[in-house]
Amino acid sequence: MKYVLLGAAMAAGVATMAPAQEITLGRFFGACEDAGTDTTTSDGEACIIQSIINAADAELDGISINTLPTDWGNYYDQVKAAYAGGTPPDVHVMHRHRVPEFAGLGALAEISGELEGAGIDASDWSPAALDAVSYNGGIYGVPMDFHANLWHVNMDLMEEAGLVMDGKPVLPTSPDELLAHAQQFKDATGQDYLAADFAQFPIGVRVVLALMWQQDANIFTDDGTATINNEAGQNAVTAITQLFDAGLANPQLNYADSQQAFLNGEAGILVNGTWVVDFYTAEAAKEEVGLDNYYVADFPTLFETGATWADSHMWAIPSSLEGEQRAAALKVLAFINDHNIDWARTGHMSVRTSVVESAEYQALPHRDEYTGTAAIARDTPPSARYGAIQDVLNRELQAIWLTDKPVETALADAEIEVQDLLDR
Amino acid sequence: MASRSRLSQAQAAWLLLTPFLATYALFLVYPFFRGVWISLHDWNLLAVAFNPDAKEFVGTRNYERVMWGKDITWSLFNAPILQTLGLVGLVLSVFLRRMNRLSRFNAIALGIVSVLLVFLPGFHPGEGGRWYDRRFWPTVGNTLVFVAFAVPGVTISALLLAAALNRETRAMGALRTLFFLSQVLSVTVVTLIWQIMFSPRQGLIANITETLGGTPINWLTDQQFAMAAIVIATVWWSLGIAMILFLAGLQDISKDIYEAAALDNARGWKAFWFITLPNLTRTISVVVILQIILHFQVFGQAHLMTQGGPNDSTQVLVRYIYQTGFRDSELGRASAMAVFLFLIMGSFSIIQFVIGREKG
Repeated sequence: MKYVLLGAAMAAGVATMAPAQEITLGRFFGACEDAGTDTTTSDGEACIIQSIINAADAELDGISINTLPTDWGNYYDQVKAAYAGGTPPDVHVMHRHRVPEFAGLGALAEISGELEGAGIDASDWSPAALDAVSYNGGIYGVPMDFHANLWHVNMDLMEEAGLVMDGKPVLPTSPDELLAHAQQFKDATGQDYLAADFAQFPIGVRVVLALMWQQDANIFTDDGTATINNEAGQNAVTAITQLFDAGLANPQLNYADSQQAFLNGEAGILVNGTWVVDFYTAEAAKEEVGLDNYYVADFPTLFETGATWADSHMWAIPSSLEGEQRAAALKVLAFINDHNIDWARTGHMSVRTSVVESAEYQALPHRDEYTGTAAIARDTPPSARYGAIQDVLNRELQAIWLTDKPVETALADAEIEVQDLLDR
Repeated sequence: MASRSRLSQAQAAWLLLTPFLATYALFLVYPFFRGVWISLHDWNLLAVAFNPDAKEFVGTRNYERVMWGKDITWSLFNAPILQTLGLVGLVLSVFLRRMNRLSRFNAIALGIVSVLLVFLPGFHPGEGGRWYDRRFWPTVGNTLVFVAFAVPGVTISALLLAAALNRETRAMGALRTLFFLSQVLSVTVVTLIWQIMFSPRQGLIANITETLGGTPINWLTDQQFAMAAIVIATVWWSLGIAMILFLAGLQDISKDIYEAAALDNARGWKAFWFITLPNLTRTISVVVILQIILHFQVFGQAHLMTQGGPNDSTQVLVRYIYQTGFRDSELGRASAMAVFLFLIMGSFSIIQFVIGREKG
């Protein structure tokens, strides 16, 4: 027995003495200083993901993870510069919409043959999740979530406005009804019906895109023709601008200010993503926050077909990674994949069938209120110029609601510029 | 024989200069020519990193795609205000030179600026034509507007501060340090401070406006105020260096002149106008030109505070270069724009050099 113990102690000693494989990891989501290693209690995107990373660092034998300092706004610029300089992070997060650009150039490792060996069961991913990480028949990453635009609702204000029935908010089913509800809301509460970041980040773009998809239209076709200045585009934009024109929503609020307006109880509805569900739930529970009775709704259908903007976060490794370093990076991916339920606590939708079906997932706060979102999730056709196209739309839409540029002129300008980008 | 073991003066000079020249060539001259070289290629940042042959020589096409367009024509009075201003300037420079009210150098400078004012804004797309890149010239325009407000803003406020703080008391020393402190902050900190200041919900400015009974302004998302907001933050940030230069200039002015002026009853404002300013012209021109060169490179403030918005009204040249190079991976195009920026700044450097020689 004594020898067994000694042997075990020596084995442990050898294991800890083995040089740790250092994995550099690039991510956005913001900083969290004291995330700890408990993945089940952390709050918010930044701390949940960091707790998962810290846990991987602690639990994976022979692997230490170094999270690189990166910032939201310039994340892709930094990652690209790192790739161009030949020093990309060993593991990094990205959106599905960037796959054509990065995988198209051969920057990302194709890992379909290595998943099983690393302990990742790709058959547990939903078909849409597999699609998100696939490019030209290969698999270029491990999906982590679906995220989409939701309507975050202040139920007390909606009740005051007479827009609650059977404990659920009554949401509009047409642009006319949207205006009528907004007016009814203003008359009853004196507050704005709807708030969102229409002024800086492209939340407004995502709203207009959803309203175009709801009319079975899109901003460009798969073969690369821009289709923005048309009836569907104008309908989508005027559905929103009618609220601004009538003084029922404020286009000048940016992300932080629109969120603050909602939390202060100064807006009935906030259009924002799945990533804030746990944060707003926590805020609504606080005494001093104006929002008390919080509800999450699917993006309502104002036209024919249900649709809301959606994307996916995924983890990838560079194609240049080889040998032990690559094996270690895959272990990190597997660890993150195993902790999908923890990430879902943010409010994001899980990519794993086993997680979606679990009681734990279904019991997450407000989860049952936006079950329809997965079915209406949409995005633009794949393009290596996604970022630049979003920027064009954001600029021209801002010109409409912040500087009174005529809708048709702005959409025509956007169409020319997007076409230029598609042609380049 | 003794000279064999010694270096000639020229040899010694070269030897001592070598470390500097090598570094300068490696980190400034080479990258510069490399940039010009890249600007002549269709060069995708990522594609070339993975495959060095992925670039294609395209001559001056990047320049054409950025600065030119389809069916561009020129006409007088395309931009009536600017071009009229240019014409007036041109007439003035000739007239004042004839009357001998202007030095030759100033007359030439005014003449060149005026000709450019008449010439450059005259280009526009003709019937059915268009600029290939519709954002480039508006971006150049925004950068010029920024420089046009930030440079006088910094110069005037730094000058007034320096004049007020140019006394040998402990309080003034403390104030000088205080005003200089903002200069040591990084742009991220400065923009963070000012984003909070300008916030219509939590900001100091909004709180004051509300206390006074006004409605808070959405500084950063209102097209009328966004550029002003960036200029204000910039003036606050870059006062320090200008103030120090002015203080140095002020301390060079002999006390005797002020005493003589005081005997003639020129004190306070009068002394400032008739003694301080004329004696500071050289410092002022140095400060102005340094500021022009500095502020043409504005990036952080626009990138972090407004993201170039709303509707591109605060999009500036360096941010556009950055976006083209890193977001869109089009290194060739980005380099072409950077060469353009170099030409602008280079011409101001030449002006500074000439001024330095003329009066020095």
